[in-house]
Amino acid sequence: MTTMVAPRRLIDDAERIQPAAYWELLMNLTRREVKGRYSQTLFGVGWAVAQPLATMAVFTLVFSRLANIVSDVPYPIFAYAGLVPWFFFLNAVNSGTMSLVQYRNIVTKTYFPREIIPLSQVCSRLLDFGAAATLVAVMMPYYGVSVTRWAILVPALFVLLVAFTVAVTLLTSAANVFYRDVSPVVQIGLQLWLYVTPIAYPYSRVPPQWRGWVAINPLTGIIEGFRSAVVYGREPDWALLALSASLTLATLAGAFLLFKRLDRYFADVI
Amino acid sequence: MSSRPTAIRLDRVSKRYRAGRSRTFVDLIASTVDRVRGRERSVYSLARGKIDATVFALRDVSFDVAEGTGLGIIGANGAGKTTLLKLISRVTWPTSGRVLVAGRVVSLIELGAGFHPELTGRENVYLGAGLFGLTRREIDRRFDEIVQFAEVERLIDTPMKRYSSGLYARLGFSVAVHSDPDIVLVDEVLAVGDAAFRRRAIDSLRRLIADGKTVLFISHDIWNVRRLCDQVIWMDEGGVRASGAAADVADRYMEDVNARALVDPRNPLPSHRGGTGEIRYTNVTVVDRDGRPAALVHEGSPLVVRAGYQAASPVTSPVFQVAIVDVDTGVVVSTATSSPADSPAIVEGSGVVDCIFESLPLRRRQYVLRMTITDADQLVSYDVVAAGPRFAVTAIDGTGSHTADDGEGLVSLSYRFAHHVQVLS
Repeated sequence: MTTMVAPRRLIDDAERIQPAAYWELLMNLTRREVKGRYSQTLFGVGWAVAQPLATMAVFTLVFSRLANIVSDVPYPIFAYAGLVPWFFFLNAVNSGTMSLVQYRNIVTKTYFPREIIPLSQVCSRLLDFGAAATLVAVMMPYYGVSVTRWAILVPALFVLLVAFTVAVTLLTSAANVFYRDVSPVVQIGLQLWLYVTPIAYPYSRVPPQWRGWVAINPLTGIIEGFRSAVVYGREPDWALLALSASLTLATLAGAFLLFKRLDRYFADVI
Repeated sequence: MSSRPTAIRLDRVSKRYRAGRSRTFVDLIASTVDRVRGRERSVYSLARGKIDATVFALRDVSFDVAEGTGLGIIGANGAGKTTLLKLISRVTWPTSGRVLVAGRVVSLIELGAGFHPELTGRENVYLGAGLFGLTRREIDRRFDEIVQFAEVERLIDTPMKRYSSGLYARLGFSVAVHSDPDIVLVDEVLAVGDAAFRRRAIDSLRRLIADGKTVLFISHDIWNVRRLCDQVIWMDEGGVRASGAAADVADRYMEDVNARALVDPRNPLPSHRGGTGEIRYTNVTVVDRDGRPAALVHEGSPLVVRAGYQAASPVTSPVFQVAIVDVDTGVVVSTATSSPADSPAIVEGSGVVDCIFESLPLRRRQYVLRMTITDADQLVSYDVVAAGPRFAVTAIDGTGSHTADDGEGLVSLSYRFAHHVQVLS
C-alpha cells in the first residue's frame, strides 16, 4: 500500500457509518420478517385482512344491537375503520415486544443500532395495514360513504399512528429484555386497551365524566381522527387530535431516550 | 512499529457480570427493602444461594494495538477472551474503563450469526453485510467476490436451511472479510470448515494484515495463532498474563498448559484395553535421569520410560514397544522396539522394563506414550495401551526463550548452515 490515508481517530463510540446502510438493514430485516411470517401459508397476506374483518363481524353482531350506538354511518364500516389502525398497533407491539429477545443471536454477536430490530417489526406490519386499509376503499362505495376533502388528513394520522406504535414497541421490547414478564403483561394489557379505546363505540358515546381518561389515550385521537377523515368525511375534533399528537411525540421522545440508555446492557442480560 | 497509529486502545477496562440467574420479583423486593433500610447486601435465596454475587470477566485490562497488527489472544476457557472481543466490537460495554477503537469493526464471534435459514444465500449476503454496515451498492460491487470465496455459486439461490454447516460458516466468513473492515475480530470460528477453507481463511486474514488492517484472533490452535499473528496476548482469569512476540508468549503458554496437564505423571493406565492379555503393563512412568517421575523433560535430555509388567502365563520372547505420539497432531514421532536380546527368552511373573532414549531431539510440545507388548513376530498383541502417560518437552532453562523461531516441526535435527560466496572473477 503506497497511498497514505489519514489515520483514523480513536473514539469510544461506534463509528458513524452511513445512515443509508442502516436504512437498508432495516429494510432487510423487515423483508426477513415478512417473508418468515407468510412463508408456507396458503392465504398469505390475506390473514392481515381476515383479522379485522372477523372482529368487525363480531362487533357488528354484538354492538349494533345496542340502540343507535352509531347513528350516521353503517356500523360495519365504522368498526372496520377503527379496527384497521388498532390491529396494526396490536400486532406491531405484540411481536415487537419479543423481538430483541428473538434476535438475541445478532444482538449478542454484532454491533448495530439496536432500535432497528423493534422498528423492523413495526415496518413489517405496514404491509398488513396496507392490505387491510385497501378493503376500506372497497367498503366505502358499498355502504355509500363518499370521500371528502378531509381525507387529506389520512397521511398525517398515519404518521401519528406509526409514531405511537414505535414509541410503545421501543418501551416494551427494551423492558422485555430485562424481565420476560413484560410480554404476558403486554398481551393482557392490549386486550384491555381495545375496550378503553373508542373502537367498538364512538368517543361521543363515552359518558362525559370519563372522557378525560379516554382522551389521554393517544389512540383515541388517532382512531377518531381516522374515522372523521375517512368514514364521516368531516372535520376532526381538533382538541382531541392535538392532545393525542403531543402525547404521542412526548412518548416517542421519552421512549427513544430510555431505549438508548438501556441498549448497552442488552447483550449482557438478554 | 511504534510509528504506526493505534487502532485499539483499552484503558483500565473491567467488565463485571452478575453471576447466577436473574432476580425474580420476590428477590427484587427483598433487595429493595434491604437497600431502603440501609443494609445493602447480597440477597440469599434458599433454593439458589447467593444471588447478587458478581464475577469479573475482565479486571483492569490495558493495552494498545497498532494498525496492521495480527494480534493473537490465547488463554484457557473463561479467561475473558470473548468478552474482550465483545467490548471492542461494542456488543457490550465495560463496567469501568474505556475502550477506544479507530475505524470500522467487523466481529466474527459466530459465523453467519445474522443469517436467516428461510432466506436464500443471495438474500443473506445482503442481510449479513448490512449488519456490518454495508450499503446495497457496496454489496453489489463485492457480491461475486464473496460468493466465489465461499464457493457457494451453485447454491446461492437456495434457502440457507439447505446448506451444510460448513457452507453456512464459509459464507459467513466470506461476507465478513469482504465488508471492508478496518478491524477484524475472529473468535475461534475457523474450527468449522474443511482444511482447504481454513487455509484460505488464514490467507485472507493475512492479506488483511498486510493491507494495514488489524486482526484480533482468538484460537486454541496455537500453531494457527503463530502462523497469523506477530503479537500475542495471553489472558488468564480476566487479566493479561503476558503479551509480546507471538513465538515467545505462545511457548510460555504451552509450557504452562503442559505443566498443568501433567501434574501427575503416573496416570493410571486405562483398564479396558486391547490385546490378548497373556502379559500386560501394570504401570508406566516417565522418569528423569535421576529416576524421579517427571512430567517435563528438557530438550536434549535423556528420557526413561519405566514400565512394570505382569505376565499371567509364561510368554516366549515378548517384544516391548514404546511409541512417542505428538498430542496435537497424533503424529507418531518415534517408535522404540525391544529386540529378543533385550529380554529373557521366557518372561514370567512380574518385572520392570526400562526404555531409555539417550537424548531427546523433540520440540517443545506435548507428547503421549503409546505402548504395546507383542509376540516375537509382532503378529499377536498381548497388550495395547493407546494413551499412556504424557510428558512435555521444555526449554533447558525453563524460560521458554529462544534465539530463532524454530516452532514448527516435531524434531530438532542438528544442523548448520554453510555459506559459500561465489566470487566473480
